[in-house]
Amino acid sequence: MPNPGPVSSAPADRDLVAQAAAGDERAIGQLYDRYATVLYTVAYRISGQRADAEEVVIESFAQAWRDAARFEPGRGSVAGWLTMIARSRALDLVRARSRRERITQTAAADRPDAPLAMGAWRGDPADALDRIERGQQVRAALEDLSPPQRQAIELAFFEGLSQSEIAARLNEPLGTVKTRVRLGMQKLRTALRPFFFEQSP
Amino acid sequence: MSTPDETSPRDLAAAYALGALSPEEARAFESYLATSPEARQEVAELRETAALVALSAPEAQPGPGLRARVLDAVAAGKVRPLPAPPASVPSWPAARRPSPLVWGALAASLLAAVGLGVRSARLAGELAQRDSTIAQQTRTLADQGQQLAARDSTLASVLSPGVELVQLTASGDPDPRIQLFWDRQHNTALLHASKLKPVPQGRTYQLWFIKDGKPVPSVTFNVAPGGDAVISQVSVPAEGQVSAAAVTEEPAGGSPQPTTPVLLVGALPKT
Repeated sequence: MPNPGPVSSAPADRDLVAQAAAGDERAIGQLYDRYATVLYTVAYRISGQRADAEEVVIESFAQAWRDAARFEPGRGSVAGWLTMIARSRALDLVRARSRRERITQTAAADRPDAPLAMGAWRGDPADALDRIERGQQVRAALEDLSPPQRQAIELAFFEGLSQSEIAARLNEPLGTVKTRVRLGMQKLRTALRPFFFEQSP
Repeated sequence: MSTPDETSPRDLAAAYALGALSPEEARAFESYLATSPEARQEVAELRETAALVALSAPEAQPGPGLRARVLDAVAAGKVRPLPAPPASVPSWPAARRPSPLVWGALAASLLAAVGLGVRSARLAGELAQRDSTIAQQTRTLADQGQQLAARDSTLASVLSPGVELVQLTASGDPDPRIQLFWDRQHNTALLHASKLKPVPQGRTYQLWFIKDGKPVPSVTFNVAPGGDAVISQVSVPAEGQVSAAAVTEEPAGGSPQPTTPVLLVGALPKT
């Protein structure tokens, strides 16, 4: 089982958001240390460019900072909130790029990932383990879906396609796609509930 | 194929959480959500589920420099976009208007500035971008090991808590722009000009604060060929009601009273 949450001495995610809302930007630093890898991972998966993924992470935390006061704990976890912000920003960026054939800064885009320097990363190793274990569970749960269900969910999440767009892309009836999304997500929810970033009250 | 189930709005919860509804469908679903606590709970769980899908991607690690860039952007975001100007500003007190000919343009521009409040939401994103550019430029200065003292005061004026951002724009033209990072606590401001035309020799830009309805002369400056200028430690009048800031072009050395029409203007948020 993944670590159910931060160790007791560390502030809870939502306390950090409250601190950010109160104007303390160190809270964003701590959230960065916990979730930058998740945000960067999803941004890189969607954009396919390191420079773009970095831009997305910057914009996402800047948006989290601006919107911290509007964060509603009842709507889900901080980690989920941050992840969905990064997904939206990455999709926005990819859409903008395809619209105007963005010229990427090759110097930045071609820079290889810096190796994880010992001591340079302030993330907690427990968070890293937690993330890796969650990732394994998520991949296993997606594998358990029917391939068309998994495909529909991945097209929606990583490519930002609506159900109608998925139907058009796959040349399938819209109703079929809707059913796949609905049943696939329900099955995924049941499988992943123990691994949610935060448990519902 | 269609089953009765599929007509229930609740069946859209999964697609909504996954961001797979069209904007119209999403809006309709949100109206439904507002009426159903159960549906909100369900969406919360489905959203958590959707967010976890992110972790199915191969893990990628950001470079070591990204944290500092994020914090720069956040520090720049401390400066809030211009709030809607106080209602008193556009109604320039006619009795105290110093020179109708010159300052008529200011009144018109102030009216235009009211529009800024409406645009502030859109500007917020753009501002964050620009602000992070400033933060970057500030860092570059520091990296060069030059003007350390200036950098410190610049940083302080942009980063201290309570700093407000005032945008000066030319009416009808979004491009030449001045940002004033106004530190109320210390009555100082950092001026950042962008895309201004360099003035000819013998001329200068001059900043004015409109205090109790009258223009108070402030700094003079010119811009680099690219149209940029950064002036730190601009004194802001401490006493009285400072309602706006404006920029005119003046003879070199500046003027005690404005002699040309206002080029850019912005309302200062009320105390």
